[in-house]
Amino acid sequence: MASIGIIANPASGKDIRRLVSHATVVDNNEKVNILKRIILAAQTHGIMDFYIMPDTYQMGYAVIDSLETRRELKANIHVMDMSITGSMRDTKRAAEEMEALGVGCIIVLGGDGTSRAAAKGIKETPLLPISTGTNNVYPQMIEGTIAGIAAAMVAKMDIPHASCMRDKRIEVYKNGELADIALIDAVLSSSAVVGAKAIWDVDEMDMLFTTRCHPASIGFSSIAGYMRIVRPEEDLGVMLDLKSETHRVLAPIAAGVITELTVGEPKEIALNQTVEMKMDSNGVVALDGEREIIFREGDVLGFKITREGPYRVKVSETLERALEEGIFSK
Amino acid sequence: MKVKNNVIINMYLRMKRIREFETKAMNLFAEGSIPGFVHLYLGEEAVATGVCANLDDKDYITSTHRGHGHIIAKGGSLNEMMAELFGKEAGYCKGKGGSMHIADATKGILGANGIVGAGHNIAVGAGLSAQYQKSGQVCVCFFGDASTNQGTFHEALNLASIWKLPIVFVCENNLYGISMSQTRHQAIKDIADRGVAYNVPGVAVDGNDVFAVYEAADEAIKRARDGQGPTLIECKTYRHRGHFEGDAGAYKPKEEQEFWMQKDPLPRIEKYMIDNKVVTPEELEKLKAQVMGEIDEAIKFANESPYPELASAVQDIYSDIVEEGRVR
Repeated sequence: MASIGIIANPASGKDIRRLVSHATVVDNNEKVNILKRIILAAQTHGIMDFYIMPDTYQMGYAVIDSLETRRELKANIHVMDMSITGSMRDTKRAAEEMEALGVGCIIVLGGDGTSRAAAKGIKETPLLPISTGTNNVYPQMIEGTIAGIAAAMVAKMDIPHASCMRDKRIEVYKNGELADIALIDAVLSSSAVVGAKAIWDVDEMDMLFTTRCHPASIGFSSIAGYMRIVRPEEDLGVMLDLKSETHRVLAPIAAGVITELTVGEPKEIALNQTVEMKMDSNGVVALDGEREIIFREGDVLGFKITREGPYRVKVSETLERALEEGIFSK
Repeated sequence: MKVKNNVIINMYLRMKRIREFETKAMNLFAEGSIPGFVHLYLGEEAVATGVCANLDDKDYITSTHRGHGHIIAKGGSLNEMMAELFGKEAGYCKGKGGSMHIADATKGILGANGIVGAGHNIAVGAGLSAQYQKSGQVCVCFFGDASTNQGTFHEALNLASIWKLPIVFVCENNLYGISMSQTRHQAIKDIADRGVAYNVPGVAVDGNDVFAVYEAADEAIKRARDGQGPTLIECKTYRHRGHFEGDAGAYKPKEEQEFWMQKDPLPRIEKYMIDNKVVTPEELEKLKAQVMGEIDEAIKFANESPYPELASAVQDIYSDIVEEGRVR
């Protein structure tokens, strides 16, 4: 029987970017609402088992309580039995366990960082990311009800990847070892601390690597996106020197923050090509907008764009396919 | 963000002072040398320090019943604090106030406070005075998670927001209101969410990472000084001890305590300083020794100070104006 996994990041939508930009605030009660909409939609389409990541706000139980009180819950909701660390590790581990359970689709609520954490835990399971975070290039602003229907369709498909896109990712190596990944962008920064995690000060940014860029995106990938377009389908990435002064570009680096930067010429990076550089000072690599990897003077960093990212559900195509197959008319 | 080495060392010294002052207070209380109640700040050092490192002496803070950390971080005198805890005449309140009433107007410390939630509205008053006098001062209001269930919190956020007062509301969410888990006293997890209701930006940060607190406070204080109004910063932290000394904290699960001890802010900043060559291991030991010397000096100062005279028991109770009125 097809099942769906749901990961809702209780920490998304409330970091320091509410102060340094005008980012959306998403409280956890709204995330509970979205979870309810997903479950009600998917159970109508025959999904009877939902696995939900446990979290410090206990969103899974809030959903059960609400839907049972209203006598709307027909499916089984399993809040997974795992210890909580209150960190990104919970998302990765929940995704790993959901894949081991064989769920047909994992829906993730959060920003780019949450999708990144989930992507680290899975290999094959289709991922459907919904935006409840800050700078969202990867997750879509999509109504939970529609996401629930699409996830149900994917979970029930004979070929689950039929309406998915295998995404690119940036693999970041430190002294030859894979240190971490990013789905959209990696920024080399001279910031000395991880601090409040989010990164916003362009003066501290030295280099940008991105898997895709488009002027309709927000965040650091948009710096390249206002110079050229690289689509998710294209087998290449881009690197951009943010310290060079060859070009001037106006880019929306955060919600409501359009900044003029001087940058170099965007350089293409072929798939599976590694760009290596030896660091001449200490700093931090920000992955999908969050400071994550601390490096020291003398460390050698490698950036490689591969097509080893998650299988992302293309919502519209999934629903179009289901329509063509007559699923909604039965 | 780049934080200068002297700022980092200064923050470390403040955190270490709090840690050692509180550890000493814990032991002295257990020995019976300190009367009254003490509520220790152990484990939460990064919050007061990361915030106060962005403030000047002229800026205000309001504090709580767990106030030692705020006062030390804001530059209060260890000698006068320790003497006050001992109930000695040389203490901040002439030995008659104890742990929960320490104030220092010269440092902008508007007072620890035994009443939960009482600091919120004092902060609004301080913020209003700064705005009215165009003094450029900022007021930081420290408070705990459970105090945000008090009416004062909501009144204060509302007024501060509508008048765009230069206030930073800093919630120290240590997960417990006395012995009651946050999960049982409020139906939300992130107190930062409460800002939305009052059009106050709310952010949540790791309160055990002094740099995360420092960055968020830096931005919030800039907003306040710039006339953009108040900010709510929620610092996720954990108190290592019970609510007060004597509370064994049996309600705190062992796994939870172990988890948070791994996030202890002191070893984190020490590791950062060594890893990033802010100090050498030898210099770090010297800083530790410096702080231990300051604490020993404070205890000596407190021990050598006399107890207040019996006749002073009724002094400083009413203002002179009232006394003079009675005489007339």
